[in-house]
Amino acid sequence: MKRVVTIITVIAMIFNLTACGSKAEQRFESSFLELFDTVTTIVGYAPDEKTFTEYSQMIYDRLEEYHQLYDIYHDYEGVNNIKTINDNAGIRPVKVDQKIIDLLEFSIQADQLTNDNVNIAFGSVLSIWHDYRTIGIDDPLSAELPPTEELQEMAKHTDISNVKIDKEASTVYLEDPLMKLDVGAIAKGYATEMTANYIIEQGFINGMISVGGNVRTIGTKFDDAGSKIPWSVGIQNPDQDSTQPTVHILQLEDMSLVTSGVYERYYTVDGKRYHHIIDPETLMPSELFQSVSIVCKDSGMADALSTSIFNMTLEEGKELIESLEDTEAFWILKDGTYEYSTGFETYIRK
Amino acid sequence: MGNKMLKRNDMIMMGIVLLIALISLGFFFLNKKEGSAVIITVDGEIYQQTELDQNNTIKIKQDNGDYNEVIIEDGYVWMTDADCPDKLCVKHNKIHYDHETIVCLPHKVVVEIVGGEENTVDIIAK
Ligand SMILES: [Zn+2]
Repeated sequence: MKRVVTIITVIAMIFNLTACGSKAEQRFESSFLELFDTVTTIVGYAPDEKTFTEYSQMIYDRLEEYHQLYDIYHDYEGVNNIKTINDNAGIRPVKVDQKIIDLLEFSIQADQLTNDNVNIAFGSVLSIWHDYRTIGIDDPLSAELPPTEELQEMAKHTDISNVKIDKEASTVYLEDPLMKLDVGAIAKGYATEMTANYIIEQGFINGMISVGGNVRTIGTKFDDAGSKIPWSVGIQNPDQDSTQPTVHILQLEDMSLVTSGVYERYYTVDGKRYHHIIDPETLMPSELFQSVSIVCKDSGMADALSTSIFNMTLEEGKELIESLEDTEAFWILKDGTYEYSTGFETYIRK
Repeated sequence: MGNKMLKRNDMIMMGIVLLIALISLGFFFLNKKEGSAVIITVDGEIYQQTELDQNNTIKIKQDNGDYNEVIIEDGYVWMTDADCPDKLCVKHNKIHYDHETIVCLPHKVVVEIVGGEENTVDIIAK
């Protein structure tokens, strides 16, 4: 088991005069690179470094469990994960941890909510793109687009009703032998949410977990006088040549912010960029936006919505967001224009 | 004569006050700069620590051949080159504020500013 190192120690010391009397709480930060193929950062308040390191370790251990269960590329000894389910498509049902069944049920609900725009049964199409992208990034000169026929052939094997979940037996079976699950659009946010809920129960009540930029805030932070103030969470500027790293700063308390953008994971064919968010209808990268950001309570839902809204037109996306309670969205269009859902601006720090 | 003395004393007094102010101001700035470090870690171990206000080019060469190049210029830090496959570290915005980082995940390289100008954001969603 990996031991988390508290890389950064005390940033600020505050005196938190709460109901339980005068108690000094310090702000700490830790981070690690091992999980979900990204950087995880934890920020929060604890009475001392030892306590904070314990919280960080608990968060690490829980996230690591999700990381292994939701992995579609690697095997882990003694673990049946999503890859095991994929490997057994059309062969046999796989007995899995309840955490996998919970994720799949959550994902199926999210897909229904978003008019089939975040389909976890889309893995066979996404894996073609993944392979071509990987080759194209490793060796830009031999970068190619996936053949349309191949994409269309695989798109026939994406019917989510062929994912058979037996809750009593705790098994998952893909009836279509050519089907694959890909939970990449949802697993990180879902795992972050579950881990946040778990660590709150352990007493970590003022903090923030970011798994690769999927940000879940827990309670508030404190200003120098010890008063509660919301966390300040920036939204990445798609223009990475800018010295301005963010386009907006949001003030969040117990809320999640997830941004789906096309500025990081892409490859280039004949001078044109092809990113990783694939429209289920065209089977090609969605071309409308540079990024879509979602604010809502549940980090798993924020993750699922950011991808699905990315695949919708602005009008469709707005209609969906306005129909959801306590859920807001911010679009950066291809030409750089900003669009907002009606309540989004209340979160923007003035 | 008495008046003149008073004036001279006043002048001296003002001079002392000004001197103290200048010294403390200088001390403040020196201290501030001293606190602004650029810390580079590879797989959690410190590879190099240097000053943010010192223009510098740092080549990070690992035993396995992994290579990254960091430039520090006028208080800003960025990755100019790397032989990692995704090049996300090279695409990353320049950093300047306290606790901002640039990460090269494939090479496990983290470049971090510690003690720089106060950051007005706690984290960035991306
Ligand atoms: Zn890199």
